[in-house]
Amino acid sequence: MTKNYFEIFNLPEKFDIDLVLLQDNYREIQKKIHPDKFTTSTENEKIQSMIKSTQVNDAYLTMKLPLKRAHYLISLHHKNKKIILPPDFLMQQMEWEEYFESIQTEKEKINEFHKMIKDKKNDYSKLLQNQIDQKKDWDAAAITVHKLQFVEQLVSKISQELLN
Amino acid sequence: MALLQISEPGKSTMPHEHKRVIGIDLGTTNSLIASVISGSVSILSQLDGVNLLPSIVHYAEDRILIGNEAKEHQVDDVSNTIVSVKRLIGKNINDININNVPLELTDGGGVINIRTRQGLKNPIEVSAEILKKLKLTAEKKLGGELMGAVITVPAYFDDAQRQATKDACKIAGLTILRLINEPTAAAVAYGLDKKSTGNFVIFDLGGGTFDISILNLSEGLFEVLATQGDAQLGGDDFDQKIVSYLAQKYQIDLKDLVNKKNIMLVANQIKESLSTKKDVQVNAEINGTKIKELFTKEKFEEMVQDLISRTILSTKKALHDANLNLNQIDGVVMVGGSTRMTCIQNSVKDLFKQNLLNDLNPDEVVALGAALQADILVGNAEEDLLLLDVTPLSLGIETMGSIVERVIPRNSTLPVAMAQEFTTYKDGQTAMIIHVVQGERELVDDCRSLAKFTLKNIPPMVAGSAKIKVTFQVDTDGLLSVSAEETSTNVKASIEVKPSYGLSENDIKNMLQSSFDLAEDDKLSRSLAEAKIDAEQLIDLTQKAIDEDSDLLTKNESTAIKIAVTEIIAALKTSDTDKINLATKKLNTEGEPFAAKRMDRSIHKALTGQSIKKLEF
Repeated sequence: MTKNYFEIFNLPEKFDIDLVLLQDNYREIQKKIHPDKFTTSTENEKIQSMIKSTQVNDAYLTMKLPLKRAHYLISLHHKNKKIILPPDFLMQQMEWEEYFESIQTEKEKINEFHKMIKDKKNDYSKLLQNQIDQKKDWDAAAITVHKLQFVEQLVSKISQELLN
Repeated sequence: MALLQISEPGKSTMPHEHKRVIGIDLGTTNSLIASVISGSVSILSQLDGVNLLPSIVHYAEDRILIGNEAKEHQVDDVSNTIVSVKRLIGKNINDININNVPLELTDGGGVINIRTRQGLKNPIEVSAEILKKLKLTAEKKLGGELMGAVITVPAYFDDAQRQATKDACKIAGLTILRLINEPTAAAVAYGLDKKSTGNFVIFDLGGGTFDISILNLSEGLFEVLATQGDAQLGGDDFDQKIVSYLAQKYQIDLKDLVNKKNIMLVANQIKESLSTKKDVQVNAEINGTKIKELFTKEKFEEMVQDLISRTILSTKKALHDANLNLNQIDGVVMVGGSTRMTCIQNSVKDLFKQNLLNDLNPDEVVALGAALQADILVGNAEEDLLLLDVTPLSLGIETMGSIVERVIPRNSTLPVAMAQEFTTYKDGQTAMIIHVVQGERELVDDCRSLAKFTLKNIPPMVAGSAKIKVTFQVDTDGLLSVSAEETSTNVKASIEVKPSYGLSENDIKNMLQSSFDLAEDDKLSRSLAEAKIDAEQLIDLTQKAIDEDSDLLTKNESTAIKIAVTEIIAALKTSDTDKINLATKKLNTEGEPFAAKRMDRSIHKALTGQSIKKLEF
């Protein structure tokens, strides 16, 4: 399958996609090629179905998650240059991590912090969308996507803590 | 008696086109079978008229009893009457608390061995006995040989437990169409019955396992968003709390298997009574010790509080993985006999703040769903329903320092594959071992060992320059397969699998041979008949494919296919099974590129709604 993911799901090539349409199209494709549709078919069809269905699942996951989608879009346009994150961002990350360690048992503070980091995540997402869809500034987007990755990991860590 | 009406009268499939398939719920406590007959699904009752077959196997002197007949011996012959064998399948002796099991267990390496008067029995062959009985009943009731069955497993069953279940089916002579997860099966029964759409939670608490699955139901497609659970938490554990309490209070020695069994039965009765009463007067005698007390619901609920908390925590984790809030859930379905406990119902109701859906019999709904799925898979059904399920546990590999490197995250939609690149660390290294584990923990020892894969025939190179791409694929049954390729030379490494649990191919072959005492002649004629059917079917399907998509064939492919077909036709004139099978294989090989192009066309057509002659790659 040599098509790119946007072609497979019949979506315009940009960051801000219609997620409902993506899901609908994904489902329509799987209804046609999923292994369960080939239980009584030939060996070849069973093998092909397994291969393509797996590829479509991978493509869908990439398109569904904003971070993966951004990475994918950037990879279509930006050669793998080394990303150097600005030192002030790295400092901020360290400060956040240290703060999180210090408020380990204080549920209210954790909730507040969670909200703050989630807002930061939204800011970066909006910036990323602007850089990719409006400005087509791939260098800047490549940096923003890495920042977003750090922040998402932190959000995840905090959510995990709140769950336990 | 029909329970659910699926198609309209007059639209059901003609009896002679209908393929004979069933759904099987192989439960910890009870097993059931169901089938779709004339468009509606119903439980096939056992030959004694009862729907539930107790999952109990008794090894007598010269025969094997299954079900209610076996149940009669659970007190007078404890060590030869095997109950809840599902709790032992796919495990080894270190995985279980032998104090809780009233059987004589020994270490069988990859399996647990149970000492009976008929010798050592492993959980796979014990389960096969239950399955054999279910198959027999089904064939009697449906009037002929089964084409296949869909069998359910707890969603949280790992690779070893799933493989062991499949092996048991093989030994019982069952053709398995698919393994499906119990909560998903329940969702199928429920969803098709009510024609529901939206986000549904399936809370499934059985005798030995707990699953919580969150599904999105839409028209023609049910998608599992997340699944969580505990394959070692069920109604039996609730009984165990009462057992511990009574044993301690009345100083009963649990090392005696008969005592253990008796006290478990008393505990079970207390638990069940408290589902409908607020207290129960216990009057029992175990080995001379009189047990007399008023057991209240409050006492019970206090005792089992930690078990209930575990189910609620799993539920919250699943919601988090599914990225949903409590108020985005459109319905909560209760499945499994243990959901009859009021403490469970209350806890779940409190969490979701809505009424629970339990109007379908919680004991039967899984088997019904499995039967509906079987019907769909073989093309009997009018309904077109696709199930998208997920892998419940993350898959990882052991790396330096006994740390797990995650390769496939949990809740990935199936089928899924991920590739990982490795390299050699010695010059000229031609083999490497990859240890695959399942679980969410960081350390290998805290996860479940699946298998050790030995990759051989790696082309010898300088250390670090070999690029070995290992692909991990999980199929729709939830089972893992591994392939490896050295990418700079394109050499495919051969893989030797040593599963950590279960039976080897040879063990199974031996069991199959002893299971079916077919005369050698019968076996040969059966093989020939099967080979002929496969060959004829392939020719037929190949012709259909060419009729539909001939424009996708290159001249060379077309010629190669035509030659292969001619060769099969010639082989079919002989009675040479091997020749026929070889010719069939050849047609499959020649047709590979064509099949790939056809699948790509299907993907493209899915979104354009009209057939396209010109192909865009």
